[in-house]
Amino acid sequence: MHIFDPLPSGWRAALRLAAVGILSLAGSIAAAQASSTPADLVIKNATVMTASHGTIQNGSVWVHAGKIAGVGATVDAPPSAAVVDASGMWLTPGIIDPHSHSALDSDINEATSPVTPSMHMIDAFDNRSADLYRALAGGVTTELLLHGSANMIGGQAVVIKNKFGLDRDAMLFPNAPGSIKFASGENPKRVYGSRDQLPSTRMGNFEVMRTAFEDAKHYMAERDAYNAKVAKGDKDAVPPKRDLKLEALADVLRGKLYVQIHCYRADEFLTEEAIAREYGYKVRAFHHALEMYKVADKIAADQTAIATFSDWWGFKDESRDAIPWNAVISMRKGVKVALKSDSDDHIRRLNQEAGKMVHYGGATEDEAIRMVTLNPAWIIGVDDHTGSIDVGKDADLVLWNHDPLSTYARAQKVYIDGDLFFDVSLPGLGTTHFNGVMHDSGGFGSDDEIEAEDGQ
Amino acid sequence: MSLPTSTNPPFPILAAFFAERVGDHRSIPAAVILGQSGRTTTNAVEGLPVASLGATSSLRTLALAGIALALFATPTSLPAQPSQPQVIAISGGKLLTVSHGTIENGVLVIADGKIAAVGEAGKVKIPSGATVVDAKGMTVYPGLIDPESNFGLTEISADQMTNDLVERSDEIMPHMHVYDAFHSETELIPVARLNGITNAVVAPAGEDTISGQDIFIQLYGKDRDQMIMGRDIALAMNFGAEQRRRGSGGRGGGAAGRPEYPSTRMGLITQLRQAFLDVQDYQAHRDAGAKKDDKTFKRDLKMEALIPYLKGERPVVIGVYEGYDVETIMALAQEFHLKVILNHVTHTQEVLDKIAAYHVPVIVGSIYDFPRADQRFDAVYTLPAELARRGVKVAISSADAGGPVSSHSARNLPYAAGFAVAYGLPYDDALKAITLNVAEMFGFGDRLGSLDVGKIANVVVANGDPLDVRTDVKQVYIQGVPIPMENRQTRLRDEYSK
Repeated sequence: MHIFDPLPSGWRAALRLAAVGILSLAGSIAAAQASSTPADLVIKNATVMTASHGTIQNGSVWVHAGKIAGVGATVDAPPSAAVVDASGMWLTPGIIDPHSHSALDSDINEATSPVTPSMHMIDAFDNRSADLYRALAGGVTTELLLHGSANMIGGQAVVIKNKFGLDRDAMLFPNAPGSIKFASGENPKRVYGSRDQLPSTRMGNFEVMRTAFEDAKHYMAERDAYNAKVAKGDKDAVPPKRDLKLEALADVLRGKLYVQIHCYRADEFLTEEAIAREYGYKVRAFHHALEMYKVADKIAADQTAIATFSDWWGFKDESRDAIPWNAVISMRKGVKVALKSDSDDHIRRLNQEAGKMVHYGGATEDEAIRMVTLNPAWIIGVDDHTGSIDVGKDADLVLWNHDPLSTYARAQKVYIDGDLFFDVSLPGLGTTHFNGVMHDSGGFGSDDEIEAEDGQ
Repeated sequence: MSLPTSTNPPFPILAAFFAERVGDHRSIPAAVILGQSGRTTTNAVEGLPVASLGATSSLRTLALAGIALALFATPTSLPAQPSQPQVIAISGGKLLTVSHGTIENGVLVIADGKIAAVGEAGKVKIPSGATVVDAKGMTVYPGLIDPESNFGLTEISADQMTNDLVERSDEIMPHMHVYDAFHSETELIPVARLNGITNAVVAPAGEDTISGQDIFIQLYGKDRDQMIMGRDIALAMNFGAEQRRRGSGGRGGGAAGRPEYPSTRMGLITQLRQAFLDVQDYQAHRDAGAKKDDKTFKRDLKMEALIPYLKGERPVVIGVYEGYDVETIMALAQEFHLKVILNHVTHTQEVLDKIAAYHVPVIVGSIYDFPRADQRFDAVYTLPAELARRGVKVAISSADAGGPVSSHSARNLPYAAGFAVAYGLPYDDALKAITLNVAEMFGFGDRLGSLDVGKIANVVVANGDPLDVRTDVKQVYIQGVPIPMENRQTRLRDEYSK
């Protein structure tokens, strides 16, 4: 998990996270007061797919104060606990999307410079977006909202819990680590190349990155020199000017931000890892990663995960070699694999995308469900809080009327932190906390669609 | 499949069992087909056990054929039609006939590229010399038909040089013939084929009010002429916001620049009505000229193209999304007695009774289109069910949400139908919506869409429910030919799984 950085260079992130923590605490208290969430809840007689330790037939899950307090054939819940009889239904962890651009009102790319690390997606987050509601109805409880892929180094992501209907700050994932979006390949070179700017080639792409890190190293060296002077008691030392862009890049080099890289081609995974080694940071995950199956053994050694499409291909040149077996082949070669939407459409049925992995490569039920729960939680860095049905974790749970890996599953109830946020049996929208007006964000919510328009 | 699988156990090796029963050496070695190019191909693919009851083919032959396939498979290799009529009996599977229910333990016989027999095991005679395919535990169903695709009109979406989707220079382009652009060697076809799609309507994209005329294809053949089963089978019409020439460029706007006529729905409808009147006038003059044997009459290809549709001889597929747009365009269609198939209709929830009253078939696509803000999340998912409940003949297309059709994802067609089942469409209606209903809408109902004697043998064998995402298609037959279950993607898979 992210450790608050007491140093001046981390001031903004620290303040932001502290503020978020306080606000979200206030928000949860308000929500708890507003709703009639019982202190104890037992969901019993379900087929419980834990994502971490297999499937329990006729299993029970006990939720206490928003956390999972028990899971198994039986649980030791108090008699006062509210009971949901889930006979004939399936229970999974909440679905987690590690690559979404939902609820950003098309403010996805600050495509005015190829290096924009001080952009924060939270500043564009629209918590009333209909995309969030539709994803909730598809069982999605956590999303990583990323900057787009127009820039080699884009902005910093926001992690949300999909508590649709609560205020903005109550939807932020408390204390989630920071992530930053990088890109590579066609999008940056097209966006800037079409304006006769650097970069217009993959050579240009990577040189833009290296130059940015050289700038950041120089910035850090100046700050270190200043700190050394202060340490020696130099009262005349003048602090270097704070630069938001370079501070953000310095945070990358200090390992304070998870690096999430939009990257399609096999050669580019290798280049990205080489640059990461050269400058001393780790790549948390490659996103899209459609050619990972070609070099999975090498990338597995770097412990970089992937967030990939199930079966998209052919939409652009760098997706020409995409195959639907990518996820399972990469997994078998040791890469941690998540499926993601990059789409306001597919986010509504990521469970089916997982089901396709049974077809394309023979993933086991456990492996398939992990690709949309525990593994994306790891990519975001919240896997110690959510992503599986284990005691102590947040009670982010989805009850389904059919096997969630089939075409036929519909989410019946969606719980986040033990609180019911969606119930399909309710009249109207099926929401429990939402009142007022929903915003239609339009578009498809995909990196590539948005940039195809931006870039032309 | 080179990857280990726990849920899709490999087929039992039954070939040896069959080999023991071989006695008759007269008939053709059906398991091995010699292609025109001299390449050896096989219909024993992905472990599907195939053996000839009447031939010397055996496990060894199959193994050799498999090796030959692996050695000689190239991106361009297509097995030719068998040099002799091939008789195949698919035995022991669960047959989803579409037209007359499910046969739990059935036999389907293919001869001369057609379905020769279908029925319960024991009641259907397997001809001597037939290649018997053991389909125990398998589901057998008719090839799926995509009612709207752009197969052969695109390769890499973002690469404009590979796109021949629509001629946007004018709004009324009935003389654009998809067969002139259809690229039969597109990789999109073998990709879709492996999931059991055997036929499709190919239509131009929807940016014009009349964007051209469709073709009907089968997803297999050695060239364009083998694959196109019908030319100019339907007129592609569209009405709504996207066809307006607003000067915004890109999607739904014609060229970038200032707005041009027709920049509103009023303009679109007036222009269409005038065009139809012009055709009637043209036809009158042409017929009068013909009577007088007037050799100076100048043919107008645009006018000529519209005549069969104004006579109601062929269907007009009208792409329209909004309820109020449906009412507007149907008024015009009725004025000119067009034979209508409605398409898309994803935001027509308030006029469903009216749509039913038109008594026209409807293609729903994309079932994944987004509802309006504040609409219930399943407002579009439930449309096929709501229409079917009102007695409408429904087809479901593979169209993507929120954008134009891209047939890269046509292989997901069965899952769209399955999703309609999840949201209330009866299962049998869903299967019909991607088989028989489509065939009937486009005039192929007597040849395709169900497991019935006399129909073209487009048949799929899969290891489970065809509408479920987990199901693996094991063998596809098109015109009775077992299609090699490979494509560029499987070759990449195999190359990098080693």
